[in-house]
Amino acid sequence: MSAGRDIATIARWEVKKTFSVMSRNILPVAIVLFVLLVLVTGFAAQSGLHIQDGMYRIGVDDPKVAAIFASDARFTVYQESDPGLAGNNGVYDLVIIKGVISANPTEKGLSAENALERDYAQYKNSVYANESDLFAAYPLWIDTQSVESELNFSATQNGQYMQVAPGRGPPLPQGPVENVPTPSPTLGITQEDLRQELATSSQENTQVSRYTDVLSPGQAAMGSFVTPDQLSPPLPFDSIILVFVFIFPLYFTSQFFMMSIMNERIERQGEPLLSLPVKTSSIIIGKMLPYFLGMLAICAGITLYIRASPLVLLPLIPIIIFFLANALVIGMLSRSFKELSFISIFFSTVATSYLFFPSIFANVHVISLVSPLTLIVLTIQGTAWTVSDYVYATALFWLTAAVLFYIAAQNFNEERLFSEKKFLPRIREFVSGILPQRHPYAALFLLAVFSIPFVFMAQMMGLVVFFNLPMPYSLVLLLVLAALIEEMAKTAGIYTLFVRDPSFFSWKNLILACATTAIGFLVGEKLLLFATLTQITESVFGSVLFLSLGVLWMPLLLHFACVLIIACSLKAGGRKGLIPGLIAATVVHCCYNLYILGWIR
Amino acid sequence: MKAWHIAVVAKKEFHGLASEKTILLAVLLQVFIALFSSFLMVGLTSMYDPAALSGYSHFRYDIAYAGNETPLLGYLEGSTALRVHQMDLSAAIELLKERRLSAVLYVPDTRPDSDDPVKITLYTLTDDLQGAVVDVRLKSVFLQYEQDLRTVRASRLDVTPIPLQVPASAGSGDFFGFVYGLLVPLLVFLPGILSAALVIDLVTEEYQHGTLETLVSTPVTFAEMVWGKVLTCAILVPVQAGAWILLLSANRIAIANPILILLHVTLASSLLILLGAVCALHYRERTAAQFVFSTALVVILLFVLALPYNPLNLVARLSVGTAGAEQWVVLGAIGLTVLALGYGMQKYAGRIWREQSGK
Repeated sequence: MSAGRDIATIARWEVKKTFSVMSRNILPVAIVLFVLLVLVTGFAAQSGLHIQDGMYRIGVDDPKVAAIFASDARFTVYQESDPGLAGNNGVYDLVIIKGVISANPTEKGLSAENALERDYAQYKNSVYANESDLFAAYPLWIDTQSVESELNFSATQNGQYMQVAPGRGPPLPQGPVENVPTPSPTLGITQEDLRQELATSSQENTQVSRYTDVLSPGQAAMGSFVTPDQLSPPLPFDSIILVFVFIFPLYFTSQFFMMSIMNERIERQGEPLLSLPVKTSSIIIGKMLPYFLGMLAICAGITLYIRASPLVLLPLIPIIIFFLANALVIGMLSRSFKELSFISIFFSTVATSYLFFPSIFANVHVISLVSPLTLIVLTIQGTAWTVSDYVYATALFWLTAAVLFYIAAQNFNEERLFSEKKFLPRIREFVSGILPQRHPYAALFLLAVFSIPFVFMAQMMGLVVFFNLPMPYSLVLLLVLAALIEEMAKTAGIYTLFVRDPSFFSWKNLILACATTAIGFLVGEKLLLFATLTQITESVFGSVLFLSLGVLWMPLLLHFACVLIIACSLKAGGRKGLIPGLIAATVVHCCYNLYILGWIR
Repeated sequence: MKAWHIAVVAKKEFHGLASEKTILLAVLLQVFIALFSSFLMVGLTSMYDPAALSGYSHFRYDIAYAGNETPLLGYLEGSTALRVHQMDLSAAIELLKERRLSAVLYVPDTRPDSDDPVKITLYTLTDDLQGAVVDVRLKSVFLQYEQDLRTVRASRLDVTPIPLQVPASAGSGDFFGFVYGLLVPLLVFLPGILSAALVIDLVTEEYQHGTLETLVSTPVTFAEMVWGKVLTCAILVPVQAGAWILLLSANRIAIANPILILLHVTLASSLLILLGAVCALHYRERTAAQFVFSTALVVILLFVLALPYNPLNLVARLSVGTAGAEQWVVLGAIGLTVLALGYGMQKYAGRIWREQSGK
């Protein structure tokens, strides 16, 4: 109960302090800037974004053809007579003579042709949409229906699927055949309705959407009916908007928290706070609470404004807590403003990509569920998600945030906050801050367990990045990356111990230390896997990431061997032995993975 | 103002940056952003235009065709990317559910010259990557068939579009437009934005760590100190941008007019850096200064991007070699603004210093 009161008091102080700092001329400027922002956004929407203006030069012989492309600012259109055009092939990226398009055989020429083709298709559509007989202009309509498959996705990862054996006639279904009603041959929509929808969907092709077109060419506006031209994979462009709408305010607000922590450290200003007869955890929670509530309020406000379901807030809460935990640690670690800026920008870029990139594939692939943002996209679309989806998408955020908070709370004292050491030694100090001094083996075990969520997060990040590459490369790169990350995590504890006291590593101690790390790692891995990641583990990628889990004694031996390699390398070469040791261990780990996959026999 | 003093301050700041290895972080950050954007691009092009990656092009997807026989069936059979099986609709849907087909088509018996449109029903699996890939392949076949039907019904059209003969595309994709029209301008301007944030940190640090008192005892004036910091940040811009241009060239993305590009970037970035310095001088506190500056930056960037012939566009034009004489006008205008803002900052810093030492 008293802890509750402490927290409330500290939270009140924090609010007061922030406002006294921020009030100096900030509020009027902020309001002016906000008004300007709204105005500028309107202006930009009107005038479009002019980045690609004038990139291509095209030559045209017919003024009517020139008029089609005059509105596209990417082209500088020159009108000349035939002989002039034919002679000047090098000047233009593309020429149109007597209705025949011929592009320069350079990359630029081909790209110009690509852009021109799209413009031409748009022009044709604008002509056709005004025809009185719409079904003469658009004689073919596709009704897109999606079918739910009961089969688990693991078989079809990354575009592969069970192929029908060729040359033996049509395949036969294995299961019972349900009768599917024959679809009606008519559209069931009047020509006028269709015309209106066509008009709105072609109007979207303005200057702004040209940039978005790269990502989602042509959006279907008419329910499940599309013309062939509009047929495109379902890609929600929403996620980019969502990142801007939801994540950026969060990032901004967590900056204030970061700065508040940093300010306590400048010139030892936080000394009075630390000398309070209050638990450290109360201080941290008290300082954090206003920001947490503020961020939640911002999200709730946005949710209300876009009239989304309040369910959207559920996946946002772990994101908020994750941001705050990182802000806390960054604020405690950095020595100067420069460092604070760059670390926080770096963190936010990484975090944003982790959140954003998977969610692009929200409707396409299950991999997208790695990001909580996908849950938001799904909620806004009205697609249901289950509790296990939620656990799967957010577990790593909860766990890493919890570990970071624990580290911060253990190190929130004068000695650490006001120390002037360099960045990496500080991190090492922070890590050793949570390790009991007298029980190095228990410490190694705990550290190995704690590092698991971070290892998984880093590996997920790799999965997200490499997923984009074509199949063999993505698997090989993922394999190497996964091994490297695991080895790095396992080394952390041994290296910290080694730097603290090199004489500790007698051969017996060395082997014991390696064994505890290996056991800790295995236990942590198992625990987390059972809890959450069953979905991923069933896929092809999962088998690469987590394949060292099959039989218990084999992975244990592997972990032990790899740590031992690094430890021996450290013992032999001192600190310089770290990198060669890491490389050797990674190679061994990769070979083991390949062996398990059956690629080396 | 003495150039010597400014150089001393700049040297000190470079030293600080080097010892903290912050600059390393900045470089790492930029590499990360570049890496991700190109990964994104490669990933998306391979998804929407699978033929762009040759490894995929030999793969044939099985689809089912149900209903009436039309010329469409012939086109599908002619496609190298698809293998068509004619079968009953219900059986085909079951096969689709068993994931042994990638798509099912149902075609009704609407006559080609009918008053009604031909409505084809396309069944694909939800949440499935190959469904997306097959969609792209089917699209070209559908377009072909649509053209046929249009020809049959051509007499009913009021106006026909001006015919243009489009060559069979080599499928270069959007890579060129993306690289030169977005990635290059973004990458060369990123150092400018980072430098502007850096100058705020450098200036506010003097205030918040109370190191200004030490400054009073040296012959360096306050304005000279600020100029030294601005210079530090401004020098970093062409160095980093130049490194980007070299890296891109090493990746066979040739950039025309590198010197001119660097000139544009440095001048435009100086504007941002000076703005950051003024913000920092005004607020004397990092949180407030960074907040106001970053909000202002968003406003400025949006506004500038909405103008024709903006610096980012000029960089894009320069890099593909289509910039005209208008670039000199823009360059001159930005140069004049930099001079004006620099003069304003000089006066402002002088006034602040007089107030400070008056106390």
